Amino acid sequence: MIASRVHAIVAAGLENPELIARWKQEPESLRAYGVDPAAFDLDAIWKFAGLTAKVKHNGLRFDLPLTFRFLSLNGLEIEVFGAYAAHKARAGTRYTATTEGRIIELVDFLRDWLDFDKPEHSLLWDLIRHETALAQLRKRTPSAQRARAPHIVGEIILHEMTCDPRVLGRLLRRKSFDPDKVQRRTVHLCYWNPGDPEELRILELDELGYHLLSLVDGKRSIADFNRLLGGKSRISKKLMGAFGELARVGVISLG
Amino acid sequence: MKYVTANCGAVAVGLAFGPIVPEFVSANPGLIDYVEIPFEQLRHSPESGSIQETVPVILHCASMSVAGFVPPDDGTLKAIEREAERTKTPWIGEHLAFITAEPIEDDHTQPTSLTYTVCPQMSEETVERVATNVASLQRHFKMPLILENSPQYFDVPGSSLSMVDFVSAVVERCQVGLLLDLTHFLISMLNTKKDPLSEIDRLPLEKVVEVHISGLNVQSGIAWDDHAVPAPAVVFDLFERVMARARPKAVTLEYNWSPQFPQSTLMKHLDRVHEIVRN
Repeated sequence: MIASRVHAIVAAGLENPELIARWKQEPESLRAYGVDPAAFDLDAIWKFAGLTAKVKHNGLRFDLPLTFRFLSLNGLEIEVFGAYAAHKARAGTRYTATTEGRIIELVDFLRDWLDFDKPEHSLLWDLIRHETALAQLRKRTPSAQRARAPHIVGEIILHEMTCDPRVLGRLLRRKSFDPDKVQRRTVHLCYWNPGDPEELRILELDELGYHLLSLVDGKRSIADFNRLLGGKSRISKKLMGAFGELARVGVISLG
Repeated sequence: MKYVTANCGAVAVGLAFGPIVPEFVSANPGLIDYVEIPFEQLRHSPESGSIQETVPVILHCASMSVAGFVPPDDGTLKAIEREAERTKTPWIGEHLAFITAEPIEDDHTQPTSLTYTVCPQMSEETVERVATNVASLQRHFKMPLILENSPQYFDVPGSSLSMVDFVSAVVERCQVGLLLDLTHFLISMLNTKKDPLSEIDRLPLEKVVEVHISGLNVQSGIAWDDHAVPAPAVVFDLFERVMARARPKAVTLEYNWSPQFPQSTLMKHLDRVHEIVRN
């Protein structure tokens, strides 16, 4: 087989893994390029495209160290980045130039691609959202908001997790990591930048506090919340207590 | 600026440029002899060249497509030439690989340019092509080109030579020095189910100018290059084997993918390299 033809096919497949997917479905189509389809290990070339995509994302390791460690320890790097490279090729889009943009695009891809029935996939989803939230808030200095209704002090990002990613992070830092040792439970987390990126905090909330924070917009009054939650004319003690607790922590101001 | 100097047969020990290197070099003056920096890094982030104010630099390159059929453009070649002159690198390490290839469709005029080098078809045809390319490229540089063995992740169609036979044939045919990447070598041996410890003895080790050491990772049934993890013990076994027969001029630890690479491991591996080199 002529070397230049072989190189051309391998390079085309690496640049556009969607072509590899097509060739896998119709191997005979490779004959049009004057080569024997049986000689090409298309699976391995597809995986190699995953390695090249992974290397292109090395810049994300500053912000997502635990995510990359998790991918590596669970043998998921090639699978994840192979699928991601194919996804980008299918969409006909290039990787965004900035690290922040690349993180957002990767998270968006994973949201659709991950199989949340697989424990390692849902742990990965927890971890990357955890590190992304911290990275995003670390780079922002939110301005003070004034409102008469309850409003967020600073900036928050809310995530419902299937484990506590802080515990997962500690386990990942150990020499050996066993994903089965991660305790699975629903955890509602609020990543909070109170106005200074140096003072980032992670608040663990109950379900009510989490949903209230997701709805606080500086416009709705406590009475509006009460109605929204199906309350009668009198505001329930539970609701008042939840707002009071959030205000006591400082993540909201009651206006 | 600091420059690599001939050092009476001593083996220089260096690091590949990466996120941990500037701080490490500043914190540990004199611990390493040089930093190996890719031309592509200097081209896209010229400020990274300032490392040479602290430590000498050896130039590495992935743009010349030495084992390919599409030559690099003049602009790229001139830029490599400029960096080679500016850094006064003692040699230029280039991958025995291709990074650009002809388009698959005849109606496409643009070649396919990749961002990662690829192991070529290992055949007599490629050996001849490498010889032509090296002869043509070498004319641009005052310092020698040396060639780095690729990691082999899959059987490249049309290959008639094993990795060891291909590298040996290229070195003999082109009369070039070898940049022996021990991890690439191990990866190739694992992926082609060959015994690395016996195969390494078949390489022309007397031609080794520089050695690369990095980590690897087995995923999805294939061993992959991984500069974010430490080299396994067998890589150091291979290095000892090389040192028993050869006297490379330089050994580079390539731990340049992760800003979290543990400094304690880096120190341990530098000690290990120094120990092997001394013995």
